[in-house]
Amino acid sequence: MSVVAFERKRTAGFWDEAELDTIVAALSVALAPGRGREWETGMTENGDPQFYLLGPLPDQACELSVSRLGGRYILEDGSGRLLFEHRSLALVALHAKAAAARSAPWWLAAHVVLLWCTVRQIIHDKVEPWLAESEELLVELAPQLVMFA
Amino acid sequence: MKRGKHQEISAGKPRREAEPDARRLRKQAGDWLKQRRADAGLSQIDLATRLGLKYYTFISQVENGFSRVPTEAMAAWATELGLEPAVFAKHLLLYYEPELHRLLFGNKE
Repeated sequence: MSVVAFERKRTAGFWDEAELDTIVAALSVALAPGRGREWETGMTENGDPQFYLLGPLPDQACELSVSRLGGRYILEDGSGRLLFEHRSLALVALHAKAAAARSAPWWLAAHVVLLWCTVRQIIHDKVEPWLAESEELLVELAPQLVMFA
Repeated sequence: MKRGKHQEISAGKPRREAEPDARRLRKQAGDWLKQRRADAGLSQIDLATRLGLKYYTFISQVENGFSRVPTEAMAAWATELGLEPAVFAKHLLLYYEPELHRLLFGNKE
């Protein structure tokens, strides 16, 4: 006999330890020492808990927030843009991790390097064989062209 | 991981003796916004609905002092609170950009 695990309905209130652990673990790279980021929790006037990822000093503005409304988790950025929402906190935390990575200063550099590697690979795969072929053709035709000269 | 005794104000690091200015001023702005909303007889949900937000969580984020009212939302936010947008923006500038406010308007407020 199998038991169906019903999802426990969460009501307003504080975050529980497991929820905070899930969010903080997902944001561990963003929160790594030396990055200057911190996190805080707060609450709406209705008692729904909120988690804030704060940017570095001096501004320490909110970069991402996760809120729990009923059984739903809401991911927003610091401008109130809705980034993701779902009943699964693990899934929301994964999106938070991706969003935090996008805001990292090395994200653009990483993409430039990735783009450069892609271009190099295309040149290596497509252009170089074509150039080699042209070179071979030139080597074959050159003596004949010299005879006509 | 460090946790506060209660989560109403808990943080990933021990709270500093003095909060940075920007953060303290943003909190003051949040308190002012909360008071103006209360004066207008609106809940956070009411205001979010009027501003066309799907969830009211951003209102809380701003009022708790973690975010600013976005510039593009200032006029609508002011109108829903029954305030003149220019007065509203000028007052928020006092918290969000105090030096700019001082340069533009002096120390009148």
